[in-house]
Amino acid sequence: MTLTPPPFDPELAAVLEMIKDAVPPQLTMDEIEATRNGPGLAMLADLDLTLGGVFEVEDRVVPGPENAPDISLLICRPVAPATDGPLPVIYHVHGGGMVIGNNRVGVDAALRWAGELGAIVVSVEYRLAPEHPHPAPIDDVYAGLLWTADHAEEIGADPERIVIAGASAGGGLTAALALLLRDRKGPRPIGQLLMCPMLDDRNDTASTHQMAGLGVWDRTANDTGWTALLGERRGGPDVSPYAAPARATDLSGLPPAFLDVGSAETFRDEVVAYATSLWQAGGVAELHVWPGGFHGFDGFAPQAVLSQACQAAQVNWLRRLLAE
Amino acid sequence: MKELAGRLTALDPDAGAAVRVIAYFDRLTEHRAGLEALVRGAAVLAGCPARLSDAGRRVRLRVETDGRRRDTEQPPDPDWPSAALSPDGAPALWLERAGPPNVVDAVILERAAAAIRLVLDRTRGRAPSAHADDPALVETLLDATAPEQIRLHAAGRLGLDPAAPAHAVAPLGGPPRVLAASALRAPVPVEGRLPASEDSARARPAAADNGSAGLALPSGRVGVGPAVPVLELPGSWAAARTALRFTADGTPYSPGPRVVYADELGGIGLLAELVVPGAEPPPDVRALEAAVADAPWMLTTLHAVASTASLRAAAVEVSVHHSTLQDRLGHAEALLGWPVRTPQGRLRLQLALTMRHLGRT
Repeated sequence: MTLTPPPFDPELAAVLEMIKDAVPPQLTMDEIEATRNGPGLAMLADLDLTLGGVFEVEDRVVPGPENAPDISLLICRPVAPATDGPLPVIYHVHGGGMVIGNNRVGVDAALRWAGELGAIVVSVEYRLAPEHPHPAPIDDVYAGLLWTADHAEEIGADPERIVIAGASAGGGLTAALALLLRDRKGPRPIGQLLMCPMLDDRNDTASTHQMAGLGVWDRTANDTGWTALLGERRGGPDVSPYAAPARATDLSGLPPAFLDVGSAETFRDEVVAYATSLWQAGGVAELHVWPGGFHGFDGFAPQAVLSQACQAAQVNWLRRLLAE
Repeated sequence: MKELAGRLTALDPDAGAAVRVIAYFDRLTEHRAGLEALVRGAAVLAGCPARLSDAGRRVRLRVETDGRRRDTEQPPDPDWPSAALSPDGAPALWLERAGPPNVVDAVILERAAAAIRLVLDRTRGRAPSAHADDPALVETLLDATAPEQIRLHAAGRLGLDPAAPAHAVAPLGGPPRVLAASALRAPVPVEGRLPASEDSARARPAAADNGSAGLALPSGRVGVGPAVPVLELPGSWAAARTALRFTADGTPYSPGPRVVYADELGGIGLLAELVVPGAEPPPDVRALEAAVADAPWMLTTLHAVASTASLRAAAVEVSVHHSTLQDRLGHAEALLGWPVRTPQGRLRLQLALTMRHLGRT
């Protein structure tokens, strides 16, 4: 097996050079606290949530899982929707390796789609590992989705047209949410949008080795994130598919999936494998592997030409999904 | 990037920001990024639209701060900060921002322009006229020992069609040149004249008036080799250097054609092999030198007789009355020791004048 990494896209390589101090490839357990308050996260969360006045923004505290604290939902509604009827919902789960981030991180991507498609964005705050290991994060994400479906009318949403979406750890939690909703016979989302999702706690694919020390969120960081979530169980025989969806043995009966990932990142092989498993289970999935993309490139470098193509593919998929 | 880089200029325009800009463009260059990525980098880092416009290479593109390309027909505002792609060139890269450029803008423009220049040189090549004088390429093309593929490549770089004939050109005291045959008119043999006369040079003027300086014959004394396929240019070069020896300054002290075409020399060209510059001159040349030393009008008058169709034309050429010319020629024949008004004597005079030329160092 070659350990030669695929080259980064030229523009993305230049962006990596730019952000390498704020967003280093590695992350150790000791560095989690500093990273939570660091410039990299601020960079991703510091934005205009109204998207120039298109959305009205509300932070709503709603009940969490049974015997657990309340959770916070960021609800962004179009100020002037094109129709009077209930609007589709993009239920957004933020990234951050299970250990960092808040419901502002990466929500700008969901807001851009919603702005184009006339949808509501609901972004869920969930408890973070290692203080709150599995199943706390997925339980919070699940509780937020239940509240959104149950209170759809209240926020002007259509409970039959909920798309669940997330990037990185948020993509992994979104995939787990789809499994959980299927198995608990919960509300059925019409699609799952998994951007560079974090799916496999075993952290042992060719791409995890190839990209060690390179780009964003390398093998060391991935080990930190999964260990924070699962502790001793990480990589062992009894990891729940609701923690690491790559562990699922039955991927049938899931909503249509959109998956994307860069060719030059840790998660490449597990994302491709997950898409393959979805097809092999008779499911519907669209997979994009962007050449030379590092982890989360479309969020860190939205202006880059590869990011533009990636964003266009996402919004095209959503448009087809919501048109049905 | 969006916040960190976009806010770069909003931060104090300190060295840290400049260092990041330099690293950004260095990395783009290292990964051989294209023009649009470079202009996009300038737009995103500066936080305003950036545009590239180079008429010579027919490149025009404009990128806004969201990274999307939106070209425009509108001309750039001369007040915008700008950079040229070469030290003395016209502005080609602009930041669409009013007011004086700050330090970071200046660094962005400088680094982006340098990176763009590299891409253009790599992908578009330099304009052919810029290559026409490239001495290394011409030298390769004229070197018979260089491999054919290398010579064909050099021809291409010089903007020559490998299938079309070209001339090697030897200017006095200048580097060799190569000109496509299409840039020069076909030779016009002039009956009754010595080959390579000034008239034939006029019949094939330097191409300066066709608007392309790169294709013009150099000024001054020039020998032109025959038009040949590009791989035979080493032979044309040898002939051009021979032809150069037949040229003159075109002054009263050195009358004769400044431009000589090798393929018009005919058998006269063989004289070049017989006369070694600086060697002891043959008797007819010594007699000619003695005659020239005798009177200031001698050289121009004898040259006129040798290079025009009739004595009447020769009289017009040197602006004297026909009878004056007859008097002068009588004096010259006495000094030379042979007649110049008979066909044989006139040929002997032509040969003496030519050998005098070839014998000079």
